[in-house]
Amino acid sequence: MTNAIAAATERLSVAGCDLEVVRRGKGRPVLLLHGFQNVDPSAPFLDGLGRQAEIIAPSHPGFGDSKRPVDFGTIYDLVHLYLDVLDALPYEKVSLMGFSFGGWLAAELAIKAGKRIDRLVLVDALGIKISGPDTPDILDVFNKHPNEVIRCGWHDPKRWAPDYDAMEDEQLIVRARNWDALCRYGWHPYMYNPQLKRWLHRIKQPTMVVWGASDGIVKPSYGETYAKLIPGARFELIPDAGHYPEIEQSDAFVKRVGGFLAS
Amino acid sequence: MDVWYQCEIPYPYVPQEALDRADSVRASLPNKYCDPALSAQLFEECLDEYLLCDELGMNVAITEHHAGINSLIGSNPMILGILARQIKKARILSLGTLITLRPDVVRVAEEYATADVISRGRLEIGFVKSGLSEMASNNANPIDNGERFWEAIDLISKALTYQDGPFSWEGKHYTHRHINIWPRPYQPTLPRMWAATGDPSTAAEVGRRGIVNVLVLRGPEGTRTAFAANRKARALAGLPKSMTDRFAYAAFVAVGDTEEEGLRLGAKLLWFLNTSLKHAPQFLQFLPGTAPPEAAPGTYRTKPRAAGPGKPGQVPSVGANAAALMSVTPEQAKQRGILFAGTADSVYQQIMKFYEAVGGFDHLAMIGRSGPMTHAETEKSLRLFSRDVLPRLKEIKTVVAGYNQQDA
Repeated sequence: MTNAIAAATERLSVAGCDLEVVRRGKGRPVLLLHGFQNVDPSAPFLDGLGRQAEIIAPSHPGFGDSKRPVDFGTIYDLVHLYLDVLDALPYEKVSLMGFSFGGWLAAELAIKAGKRIDRLVLVDALGIKISGPDTPDILDVFNKHPNEVIRCGWHDPKRWAPDYDAMEDEQLIVRARNWDALCRYGWHPYMYNPQLKRWLHRIKQPTMVVWGASDGIVKPSYGETYAKLIPGARFELIPDAGHYPEIEQSDAFVKRVGGFLAS
Repeated sequence: MDVWYQCEIPYPYVPQEALDRADSVRASLPNKYCDPALSAQLFEECLDEYLLCDELGMNVAITEHHAGINSLIGSNPMILGILARQIKKARILSLGTLITLRPDVVRVAEEYATADVISRGRLEIGFVKSGLSEMASNNANPIDNGERFWEAIDLISKALTYQDGPFSWEGKHYTHRHINIWPRPYQPTLPRMWAATGDPSTAAEVGRRGIVNVLVLRGPEGTRTAFAANRKARALAGLPKSMTDRFAYAAFVAVGDTEEEGLRLGAKLLWFLNTSLKHAPQFLQFLPGTAPPEAAPGTYRTKPRAAGPGKPGQVPSVGANAAALMSVTPEQAKQRGILFAGTADSVYQQIMKFYEAVGGFDHLAMIGRSGPMTHAETEKSLRLFSRDVLPRLKEIKTVVAGYNQQDA
C-alpha cells in the first residue's frame, strides 16, 4: 500500500457528481468499477493492463475523493450514474470490468446498456443470491470480526492485508469514507439485488468471470454459477489469490484479463 | 426533582470463561448461554422491583437493548404493557423503544398508545438512537441512523396526535399510506417526550424541540457540554429558555447503611461497564457511520503514532474510551459522576454536587440494579433511597436550566 491516493487527480463531472478518476494506458477503453476500496493509482495491475487498454477508473460517489450528492445513495443511483458516464465517454463502445462490489454494478450495467458494452469482465463479483435463505453467499464484512474478514479476503494476508498502523492519516480517512459508502449502498439486501439473476441472460457480450481461487469473501463456486447464468461466459480461476486477484497475482491477472480484453 | 428507577434486566450468569473467550458479549454470544429458567426468575424479580418503586413513590423507566448479557429487554413495549397494567400510581417512561431499529414505526405508535390507554395516561415516551452491536442484531443500516431517528419521531408524534382519519406518510426513510391508530392515546396531547443523547449536535435538536434531554453515564463534563449545546440551540432559534424539567441524568445509584455497603453495591452495578460493554471491533470502531471518517486515524490504528503529537481535533480512539470505562473502579466512577453510592446522606450530596456542576436537572434516572446485585440488595437500596434521599430531592424546585452556568 503506498501513499499515492493523491495522484488520482483527474476529474469527471457527470449527473451532478464530481468524480475522481484514475486513468492509465492506451488502447481500447475499459471502464473499471472498483470494489470495497477505490483504485490505488500505484497498483501494478494498472500499468500491466494499461499496455493493452485505456483504463478509466472513477471512484464511486462517497468513495475516495468523489463526493456523494445528498440526494444520491442507492445502487439505483450508481447504476444510472454509470449509464450517464457511458454516455459522457467519447467512445461508441467501452469494455466494462468490475471488481467485487463494482462487479455487481458492471453486471447491472451490462443488462441495461448492452449495445454500449464491448466486453465484460467480472472479478470476484457480488450482486446475486444463489443459496438458500439460511446460507449466505457473501461474507458479512460488516458484522464479522475484522480479522476474519482479512483471513477470508486474502490468500496471503500477512503479505497483502492493509496494515492500519503503517498507513498515513489520509489513507485511513479514505478507508473509513469508503467503508461508510459501501455500507450505505450495500447493507440491505446485503450486497445483492434479488432480481439480478433473473436478467443476466440479457448479457450478450463476450464475458469473462475471473475468481481468486482462495476467495473466502465469496467463493469460486459462486463465480462458476454466476458465469453459467451469463450466456457464453467463461470462468477462470487465478491460483494463490483471494478476493483481490488483481492485487495478489497482478501478473497472472493482467495476462488473463489483458488477453481477453485485447482479443 | 423526580426520580425514575430503571433496570435493564442484565443477565449475569454466563460463565466467565465463556465471556473471556467471546470477542463480544453482545450480538454474537450464542444464546445457548441464556438459561430460560434463570431469565424467568430475573424477570420476576425485576418486575417486582418496579412494583416496589410504585409503592415507594418513584417513577419507573424501561430501556431496550438487544441480544446481549447487558439486557434481556429486547422488547420494550412488552415490558411497558405489563407495567402499564400493574403499576398503579407511578408515571412510566419508555426509554425507549429503539425506533431506528424498527422498519415500521407506526407499530411503535400503536404500542405506545395502547400502553398509555392501559395506564390511563401515565406514559412518557423516550427515544434512543441505538447503535453499535444492535445494528447487527436488528439488521439496521448504521448509516443515516440519525436521520431515521428524527423522521421516526416526527411520524410517531403525528400518529399519536392526528385524530381525523387516515393520513399518509411518504418520507425519506418511512412510507405508510394509511395511518389511523386505534386506540389513540389516553393523554389528550402528545405525551411528554424524552431523548437520550450525549452528542452536542443531537442535544441541540433535542433543545429546539423542547424534548427532555437525558444524559446517560456521561459525567459532569460531557453532560455540561450537551446541556449547554441544548440551551444554546434554543437561544439561537429565539426560543424561550428551558426550565430544568427538560433535563435529566441517568447514573448508577446504590444506597447502604454504611458508606462501605453503598460502595460495595455500587461495585456490583459497575458490572454493566466492566463486563457487559465488551464489543468486538466490527461493532465499535469499525461500525460504519459511528464516527466521522476524519476520526479514523484515532480509531483504526491499534497503537498511536509514535512521532509527534496528534493533529489538532484528532478524536481519541473509541476503543480507548471503552477500555477506560471497562476498567473503572467504584471510587473512580464516583468521582466521574457515573455512580452515586454510599449512605443516603452521601448519595444526596453526590447528586447535588453533580446537579450544581451541570446547571440543574429535574429528573434523575436511577440505574439501581445491574450485574450480580441480588433482589434483596436491590430492594434494600431502593427502600433506603426512597426513605432518606427521595424526599430531599423532591424538594428541589424547577428553575431555569443552566442557572449557574456562564452561558445562561
